[in-house]
Amino acid sequence: MSSSFVLQLVISGLLMGGVYSLIALGLSLIFGVMKVINFAHGEMMVWGMYIAYTILLFTGIDPFFSLVVSAGALFVLGYLFQRTVVNRIIEFPEAMQVIPMVGAALIFENGARLIWGPDYRSPASKFALSSLWIGEIMIDVPRLLAFLIAILIAALVFLFLKYTDIGKAIRSSADNRLGALLVGTDVNRVYAVCFGIGMACVGAAGALLVPLVPLAPHIGPPFTLISFIIVILGGMGSLMGAMVGGLIVGIAESVATIFLPSSLKQIVSFSLMVLILLFKPKGLFGR
Amino acid sequence: MEKTMNRRIFLKYSAATGVTAAVSGFPAILRSQPKEILIGSIQPATGVIADLGIADRRANQLAVDDINARGGIKSLGGAKLKLLLGDCEAKEEVGRSEAERLIKEGAVCLTGPFLSGVAIAMGTLCEARGVPFVIDVAAADAVTQRGFKYTFRCFTTQSILIKNIGDFLDTIVKEKKVAMKRIAVTNAGDLFGRAQGKAFVDYVKAKKLSFDAEIVEHIEYPLGVQDLSAEVAKIKAAKPDILCPVARSGDAKLLVRELYKQRVELMGIIGPGSPGWYEPEFIRDMGPLADYVMDNAPWPNPKSPRFKEINERFAKLYPGKYLDGNSGYGYLAVMVIADALERAKSTKPEALVEALRTMNYRQDIMVGGAVQFTANGDNRGANTAFMQVLKGEVKVVLPKEFAQADYIFPTPPLWKR
Repeated sequence: MSSSFVLQLVISGLLMGGVYSLIALGLSLIFGVMKVINFAHGEMMVWGMYIAYTILLFTGIDPFFSLVVSAGALFVLGYLFQRTVVNRIIEFPEAMQVIPMVGAALIFENGARLIWGPDYRSPASKFALSSLWIGEIMIDVPRLLAFLIAILIAALVFLFLKYTDIGKAIRSSADNRLGALLVGTDVNRVYAVCFGIGMACVGAAGALLVPLVPLAPHIGPPFTLISFIIVILGGMGSLMGAMVGGLIVGIAESVATIFLPSSLKQIVSFSLMVLILLFKPKGLFGR
Repeated sequence: MEKTMNRRIFLKYSAATGVTAAVSGFPAILRSQPKEILIGSIQPATGVIADLGIADRRANQLAVDDINARGGIKSLGGAKLKLLLGDCEAKEEVGRSEAERLIKEGAVCLTGPFLSGVAIAMGTLCEARGVPFVIDVAAADAVTQRGFKYTFRCFTTQSILIKNIGDFLDTIVKEKKVAMKRIAVTNAGDLFGRAQGKAFVDYVKAKKLSFDAEIVEHIEYPLGVQDLSAEVAKIKAAKPDILCPVARSGDAKLLVRELYKQRVELMGIIGPGSPGWYEPEFIRDMGPLADYVMDNAPWPNPKSPRFKEINERFAKLYPGKYLDGNSGYGYLAVMVIADALERAKSTKPEALVEALRTMNYRQDIMVGGAVQFTANGDNRGANTAFMQVLKGEVKVVLPKEFAQADYIFPTPPLWKR
């Protein structure tokens, strides 16, 4: 086992982990503020992918640029979805919230199948096949770009929440809904914006994945699952937790292939989740 | 006294007639001359391999339309066929429940289901319900080794796939005078993928190839995998001469792109027999990277005028698509069912099974011979061809009698095209 081989796996995993982080960030934000678990998360990411794919197909604009459109479209979708569906179930017991969310997931998946068909699509984008070499180590350019952009977007979300008025309103509504209502915050609107931002994150992540993952309507659920693991690992509702958790899961899954058959590599992330639930149930960064 | 017909008497008589008819089985006369014969097609039309499932379903439907267009089943008074659609979602338990549903809706025979695991689940149910099941696609040997009486398979078995890939590799080594000592194998982790990968690895390890070869790496990944970078890094570290992947559609694309990016030096990519390498979507998306990929699979006979005619109509209905080995068998299986109905002159299961057992359906649509079923229910005439993608088109290169082009081996590296 050469050290360059191990390093290769660590780098591949780390870069993929950045995108995982961005996906999980959206989930964590929505949960942290509204205490609603978005079971349609992966399916909405797939919509982000398809939007970027369609733009690439018709205009030739690379997903790394059109991610703005994907994120914007998903923001609107998220905003409307919160207003029409999520807002009605926000006070329901958790078990009852699950059903409309899973239903929405089915609608999103099959809607995508209806529009774009069942084929796997791997469009030829500009960067899809480029790679950099540092000695023996290959750095996948689309993966590197995806990683950098994901970290950048996450940083922007942090700054937004910290310094803008609406960001502060989101945080106050998350801390104390009643208190926020009493001081005159339009909590419903704040929730809708927050859901929109969560969806925009996952829409952008979807666009970043277009050059990396063959796109098909059904690929959402594994991403929903992996974001759950990351969010539990990092701490429910903790944005920093989602970032760190994503990187840990990315590296763990990649390096696991050294000593485990590939078909079992998910054991590592699930085991991490079980360990966290046993010994630190609030997650690494949970409060 | 003459009885006059009034409203009350009329009602009495007609009610009595209705009851008598219902009890004595008056509609049975209709049943013996069916206007419509229902055939259930269960394919993975959604789920991880929906693209393949839908192609297969479309081929089933095209065959049904063709039979109806030429006058239906003549021995049954020109009865038309109707395809009942089921979707197994690539899951065994769903395949079983869909089969149950279609049988309840009156399907006299089932076809499908692309996946070997689903085929076993459906075969078990058809056995219990006494409904004939003509498999179009499903290759794992285990499907027909359970003593099923109602299950018949048109498709090639795994044993034939493995024996043929062995012969094709032997031919390449002999003709091109190359050494393929180090072989890496990958497979998806579903029932067929796992069995096919293992069977090929066992074949090489048992020294059944005519030349010296060893397995330097064998990787299995889950069906529907999203990232193969670590797996390809492992393949690269093993320094294989050739890669023999057993894939599905999404992972085939992932694999080729990773091989390119990581600059894995290979003499060639040679599929021991699996989808992923010959579908129109693979060539559409991979462009020059799809070229020179070789695969061993059941395949339409490129020299058959009848196949050409069918394929032209298929391509017209579904622009950008063509019939491949799987959808080709999707078409053939319905033809086999129609032939069985024609000779059985009945839709009764026993008569149909007897007609299937004595089947001798001459065909030149697919590479292979006439469809005849063994005691197990396997098709004696099923065979495979060895293909290579050349300039964006799948060409049969072996066996020679079906070949459309000469194959190129060793193949140029992916990144020098």
